[in-house]
Amino acid sequence: MRRAELGRSGTVALAAVLALTTAGCSGEPEPAADRGGVARHDGFHFVDVAPEAGVTRVVLAGRPDKDHLLDSAGTGAAWLDYDRDGHLDAYIVNSWTISGSEITERGRNALYRNRGDGTFDDVTERAGVGGEGHWGAGVAVADYDEDGWPDILVTSFGPTVLYRNLGDGTFENVAARSGIESPGWNTGAAFFDADGDGDLDLYVAAYIDCTLEEMLDARPTLDWKGVDKVAVGPFGLEGAADHFFRSNGDGTFVDATAEAGFEDLALGYGFAVRAGDLDADGDLDVYVANDSDANYYYRNEGDGTFKEVGMWTGPAFDAGGAAQAGMGVAFGDPNGDGAVDVLVTNFSEDFTTLYHGDGSGFFEDVSDATGIGPATFPWLSWGALLADLDNDGDQDVVIANGHIYPQVDRHPEYELTYAQKNLLLENDGTGRFVDVTDEAGPGFAKVQSSRGLAAGDYDDDGDLDLLITQLDEAPVLLRNDSATGSWLTVVLEVPPGEGTAIGTRVVVEAAGQTQVRDLASSESFLSVHDPRLHFGLGSARVADRVEVEWPDGSRTVLEDVAVDRFLTVLKEP
Amino acid sequence: MKSRSGILVCLVVAAVACVGLAHASHHEMNAKTPAPLVETYEALGDAILATKKAEWNLVHTILATTYQHAQGAFAKAVSNLEAGEDARAQIEALAELVAQLGNEGDASVAAIRKRLVEGGHHHNAKGEEQGVYEEGFVIVTRDAKKQFLASAGAIGKLAAKPDAVALKAEWNKVEKQFAQLHETR
Repeated sequence: MRRAELGRSGTVALAAVLALTTAGCSGEPEPAADRGGVARHDGFHFVDVAPEAGVTRVVLAGRPDKDHLLDSAGTGAAWLDYDRDGHLDAYIVNSWTISGSEITERGRNALYRNRGDGTFDDVTERAGVGGEGHWGAGVAVADYDEDGWPDILVTSFGPTVLYRNLGDGTFENVAARSGIESPGWNTGAAFFDADGDGDLDLYVAAYIDCTLEEMLDARPTLDWKGVDKVAVGPFGLEGAADHFFRSNGDGTFVDATAEAGFEDLALGYGFAVRAGDLDADGDLDVYVANDSDANYYYRNEGDGTFKEVGMWTGPAFDAGGAAQAGMGVAFGDPNGDGAVDVLVTNFSEDFTTLYHGDGSGFFEDVSDATGIGPATFPWLSWGALLADLDNDGDQDVVIANGHIYPQVDRHPEYELTYAQKNLLLENDGTGRFVDVTDEAGPGFAKVQSSRGLAAGDYDDDGDLDLLITQLDEAPVLLRNDSATGSWLTVVLEVPPGEGTAIGTRVVVEAAGQTQVRDLASSESFLSVHDPRLHFGLGSARVADRVEVEWPDGSRTVLEDVAVDRFLTVLKEP
Repeated sequence: MKSRSGILVCLVVAAVACVGLAHASHHEMNAKTPAPLVETYEALGDAILATKKAEWNLVHTILATTYQHAQGAFAKAVSNLEAGEDARAQIEALAELVAQLGNEGDASVAAIRKRLVEGGHHHNAKGEEQGVYEEGFVIVTRDAKKQFLASAGAIGKLAAKPDAVALKAEWNKVEKQFAQLHETR
């Protein structure tokens, strides 16, 4: 589907007529202004409220010495409204603990239902989404069967799990009958409409090919700087091939990896996956962050097939032509030029890479010029976020950090630590970034071994909060109490059976500025952000224009939209 | 997979022969390494060194073949452009081939290179230490890779904005870079 086809059912209407705001709707959040909101502080201010909010289940992570890479790979987190009560719920993937070569505990994933008062109930058991005993890895959320309820896909070291939302607060695992189990060490996953037929297809990345026995028997034997032994890999371990599953349109999928052009001949060590329109031609492309290998950029050819073009379009390597150790990925537009940019987190003593897109599918590594490179060089980085955290109209960067080798703590001369602080880099308004981590409140002062990172406005106050998973600890929930400008959060609604909202692009014009967001089923490191698209609007008191470009090419256009509110936009049949 | 198994069998046979020879020599109380073992090792050494040379030749052939394909894509692209015809496919194919020059082959080759590195084989171990070569690379240096990738990107952008003059200029850079590969041998 090409951009030229867009607009065939476009409509323009006054916001007052078509916008279904959430204010006053039963069970849905009210505008923050009516709720009093939280106390504001000057600058950024984040506070970890996970313990009092009830987000307390520890994420297990193998053995203390992280004998195998699986022990230190970590898990993802997701924001979703599983019960459609208007409040954002949280889902955390879990793994196992191991002692020697014995599995001592199989962790349970956790579903936290938002009570609407800033606290959560652990409803995992009632909902039936605790995992199937597998070592969990990543998560993606989408209404794959178009019944109006968000479903949860969990990748594993083992079979993939697909929790179909039954709409009554419970789920059932339908992975086997859907045909997407694909055992192995699967990591990132993305639902997206690959062929423009209106239903969601699925890409699943895989990391290394190893058996349970190999994992359990692994010991730290790799020489690290000549001073210690650490877990082997990924070099020395065989890469595993990614998979693509095409939807049959009836809730089942067929493996169409080779046919669609996703044959993973290089056997890259795949981690994060993000689908989005990288070349602005109206269809969804796929980006895969590979560890220690060239990243993949699969360009959608518009006919249901894809071509890997990363090597000659820029985002496969850094500016020096070298493959990095890709972990997480974020799409955004921090320089505000309307073209999609790509942020990829990488290993320690290397830098997180920001690729500026030119809007035609070509990318340039601008990590140094934007300040991202120098700020991120020491850290081993995972979760990645491009989002406006102070509602000033530009996208800031958050990166979740943590080393994979506990052994580094025994060698302080290298100035590396296993537990690391997460980073907050503020956009100065020109697309350059300043490290403001140390001024961002107690939430950013914590040092842990972080992995998954998901942004969502769980308290509905108009700013984005951060849910971050840690190895061997409970997640942190960083409530955003920062000074903020005005905001608009767009809630996309598609009637059951009328297609999907995944892949929808929203353009907001306010105060002479144009901002773009799109809805994805996963991002960051194996995680899922708030499905409601958030825009910081600075001092604007009205959004002049809100344009919603639905995946089928139809559009909804709203004008003169009041800000500081959740704006629900319903797709017309 | 068959050829890999064949090599494994040969090595096992050789090892068994060596063990047998060593056992037979045990009672001769000779301070010297038995001559048959030296001769066998000599032959194996020749084979190892020849294998490294064969690897260079193979990668050289991969590059030469890729370059030939690139020449063809370039010629076709220019021909189309000068005839006022669509050249997008040829230009993109050229960009991909130039990127493959920088990567010493396509994704399939990359997977083999990765397996060799995983097995501890580094064709240019010293060059890697010096930062001249990426891990596992045989002929293409880091600098050359960077130049090829830059040219690949520049060529790829011309697919949407066809320009025969610009394409020829960028191809000239590729030709020079390819010629320099032989100088670094």
